[in-house]
Amino acid sequence: MSLVRDFYVPGHSWLHQLDPRVKLWGVTVGVLAAFALPGWGPQVALLLGMHLLLRSAGISWGVLRAIWRQMALLVIIILLLQPFFSPDGAAIVAWGPLQWTWGGIHAAVVLALRALAIAFISGGLLLTTSPPALVRALVRLGLPYHWGFTISLTLRFLPTIHALFLAVRDAQAARGWVTEGHLWRRLRGYLPVLVAVVVNTLRMSDQLTLALAARGLGADSRRTTWRDLRMRRLDWGVLALLTLAGGVIVVGWWGRL
Amino acid sequence: MIHVEALRFAYPALAGGLSSGDLWPPLSFTVAAGEALAVMGASDSGKSTLCHILAGLAPRYTDGEVGGRVRVAGHDVLGARPPLRTVGVLFQDAAMQLFNASVETEVAWGLEALGLVPDAIDARVAEALARFGLRGLAKRSPGALSGGQQKRLALASVWAMRPRVWLLDEPLGGLDPQGRREVLAALDTLRQGGTTLLLTTLRPQAAQMAPRALLLHPPATSHHATAALLDAESALVEAGVHYPPRFWPALTGPTREAPAVTLEGVAFRYAAGQSPVLHDINLRIPQGQFVALVGANGAGKSTLARLLNGLLRPERGTVRVMGEPTAEQAVGALARRVGFLFQRPEQQIFGTTVREEIAYGPRQLRLPEVERRVAAALERFALDAVADVPPAVLGYGRRRAVTLAALSALDTPILVLDEPTVGLDGRGWAQLLAWLRARRAAGVTLILITHEMALAACADRVVALEAGRVVADGPPDAVLPGIDAGALA
Repeated sequence: MSLVRDFYVPGHSWLHQLDPRVKLWGVTVGVLAAFALPGWGPQVALLLGMHLLLRSAGISWGVLRAIWRQMALLVIIILLLQPFFSPDGAAIVAWGPLQWTWGGIHAAVVLALRALAIAFISGGLLLTTSPPALVRALVRLGLPYHWGFTISLTLRFLPTIHALFLAVRDAQAARGWVTEGHLWRRLRGYLPVLVAVVVNTLRMSDQLTLALAARGLGADSRRTTWRDLRMRRLDWGVLALLTLAGGVIVVGWWGRL
Repeated sequence: MIHVEALRFAYPALAGGLSSGDLWPPLSFTVAAGEALAVMGASDSGKSTLCHILAGLAPRYTDGEVGGRVRVAGHDVLGARPPLRTVGVLFQDAAMQLFNASVETEVAWGLEALGLVPDAIDARVAEALARFGLRGLAKRSPGALSGGQQKRLALASVWAMRPRVWLLDEPLGGLDPQGRREVLAALDTLRQGGTTLLLTTLRPQAAQMAPRALLLHPPATSHHATAALLDAESALVEAGVHYPPRFWPALTGPTREAPAVTLEGVAFRYAAGQSPVLHDINLRIPQGQFVALVGANGAGKSTLARLLNGLLRPERGTVRVMGEPTAEQAVGALARRVGFLFQRPEQQIFGTTVREEIAYGPRQLRLPEVERRVAAALERFALDAVADVPPAVLGYGRRRAVTLAALSALDTPILVLDEPTVGLDGRGWAQLLAWLRARRAAGVTLILITHEMALAACADRVVALEAGRVVADGPPDAVLPGIDAGALA
């Protein structure tokens, strides 16, 4: 449930301190590179580069391994199935119309590397940016404050609702709630748990409405921002580099078309 | 500062035909600048609603129908939402009032809404954190704070906005003794500042802050000098607010030799690599005994209790219930023997009607005579009138009664209650103790986790836990005096 919160690895590295707007731009350029650059070489370079970058930001090997583990299933599926969809050249193995070709395998490897590169590029943002900072960046980039605030509220209350779910489940187990049996029986067993969770979530949201109004949500005065994002010299430098790289990729891509 | 004239309020009629008339007879009172008024009343007597009305939140953001005149700091709050700085509210459930990612951004949030410039916010945040003893916690997540710290943070967030009038809804609600001490100290500093405030409470400790008191005892209301009201006690007991120990029934019962529960060398940790929560616990509780389990927050009391109904299994050692190891029994099977009341039980209700809610356990466990059990539980907890109403629409006091009724219908030989008195009004205490008296007389084994020393003193035996170990075990007279109430809470 707390997947989004668990991503963030608190720290004070240069990448942590980089303006989240610049990091968002970095993800955009990185994903563009992953899609625009041909062949497996650039993908491997991106992947290696991201590993070095994240290590330099103090992200442990354990965390990087966890991303590999998360991606493992997707990678295997791509490697097994993608060759069928992009046959190219002579068949190595064939089952009727389905065939594996060297060209197809090559395409699958590139695709798998691309998926991994994108995962690690996104990781560069999510691992080093706290959810509130990310929301602040989105709001500064034009997302309406209320939308951003809604995302923050959701992040804040997900663990609360998760804890509530566990508490209700335990309480009902203690009253003879059955978790054994076939799937339908188990699913039906979860119904009371969900009812209690939904009822309480609604009750919480009623209270939250009052608390927000009491503290000034929707008040007439104009909101200020306490710790606004400020671009520093490093931020401008990284922004310029990223933009340059993005420009080169786009120009090269046009050239190939 | 607060002028209330002939105020009336009614919630819309509930499903199930339960009529909901006016909460009180027309209510009139005044709180002058710098004055404090305590509003006392049982659960569901409309204390929170009164706060919400005065803050201009009800019925603006809730259901209900209002009449009369209310002026707060010169603003007609029923007519238009008062300007932001008029009223500051401390809500009953502090956790719901905290919605930011860190303690400092929580305090800053309201100041941003006021439109203060960042430098001014810096100064006010620092001042508020210092005043409420939160400086060391500035970067922490509000969700990770203790109950007392959460209330202090809520107070700091409101205080930073400098409201002209304070409304405190049950400021000590849901807190253990340590939390109550922390919050009382914080409120003292508030009073010394000469703020105008209205507080609602069940707790004499909190009411003492205000020289005057308004007692809500539907269908009547009355004005009192707080000291006289607290001294006499009888009016508070009658109104179901308070239930002092001298009224309590004796919780005695027959004890047998055979053990209800035994723990042998029990150790437990929540995950490999984490430090153990319990170390080498050895405990033998004979059938029919009343054991109070005491200790500071985090001492392992709730964990120990969860080992008894099989929700947790020991990492080492053996837990036996009625002679059989729990490791070999399903939680569902253990539920026939161990009745368990969790913390915040009112959140665990899901039935479509009160009757269904109570019948759920006996049906799941295929117990005989479900109808009779349900009828008896409804009667004992005075729920007959709402038997066919969805429990979700009932007030807090009634929902708590429903959770006890549901437990009582299981009729288990062992009861484990985890802080059953937190948040209960006098009426709730009286119901709980009357039921426990009857269960004890019938020979039920009672294991009760509590921070209330007066309740622990009623037990046959007190077991004190500290950092996952039993540090004292004996009759209350022997154990309780040795326990520092401060360390305990």
